[in-house]
Amino acid sequence: MKELDPLLHSQLRLAVMSILMNVEEADFVYLRERTESTAGNLSVQLDKLSAAGYIAVEKGFAGKRTRTICRITDAGRRAFEAYVNDLKRYLNLS
Amino acid sequence: MEEKQLTPEESMVLIGRMIDASKRRVAVPDLRISVMWAALSVATAAAVWLLWQLTGDVRFNFVWFAIPVIGIPLNILLADRSERPVKTYVDRICEGVGKILCALPICLTVLCLAFQWSGYPQAWLTFFFFAFIVVGFGAAMQGIVLEEKSYLFGGVFSMLTGFVVAAAAVSGLPLRMGWMIPLYMLCFVLMFLVPAIVIRRKLKRSTR
Repeated sequence: MKELDPLLHSQLRLAVMSILMNVEEADFVYLRERTESTAGNLSVQLDKLSAAGYIAVEKGFAGKRTRTICRITDAGRRAFEAYVNDLKRYLNLS
Repeated sequence: MEEKQLTPEESMVLIGRMIDASKRRVAVPDLRISVMWAALSVATAAAVWLLWQLTGDVRFNFVWFAIPVIGIPLNILLADRSERPVKTYVDRICEGVGKILCALPICLTVLCLAFQWSGYPQAWLTFFFFAFIVVGFGAAMQGIVLEEKSYLFGGVFSMLTGFVVAAAAVSGLPLRMGWMIPLYMLCFVLMFLVPAIVIRRKLKRSTR
């Protein structure tokens, strides 16, 4: 059986991707709150997803504060869909 | 949440949990801008109606220009301040509808001014049809997207009102400011202010 995408098969990265599949964009604070993760860990995982081309990360300013906005890319969407299909096969749901 | 490997079962549960966590926000867009325009429209209409009732001077119709004069800067200010942590497809649709509803009256103003200069000042009545039918359609669309019946009711009520007023105008019945303006105010209250109150109450109840 095909191996599950290792980049998505981790708790925090999968949580981030699941949220981003459901919205147009989300900022760092929102993702941290929803995933109940630490800023450092989330930052590392976002970098990994970004390096793989699964998400686009945009850094900007909101007033004087920095603001990081994340969006899922087409490649990320395809990877997530493939991952869910693979999961279904593993669980004999398809 | 940590960086740990999952079983396929855990992955499925996690995906479902995260979709649920972000779902509630999907159904609640930023309503402040539409509420601001609606409140401003109602307040301006009330001022025009009151001044006209007290003085009988039709020049008080110029007070209608308070809507863009106050509304456009306020809109820019509110849009700047609304740093939403998350933006959804619903937000995009609502924003798009809002932008169209803001751009159309600008075009309509130019059109009405051209008609006025050509000797047809009654062209300004077109604004009532815009408010009743086009804005009503926008509110109904928002109701469908948000699955909020109060928006849908307000929008459909306004559109039907617009059709009745249009039929009256086509039939040559006089459209009197005495009842047209209160009707306009009622429609804006039903289209935007009542749904905003309903949504706010629902949100409060769900966060308890």
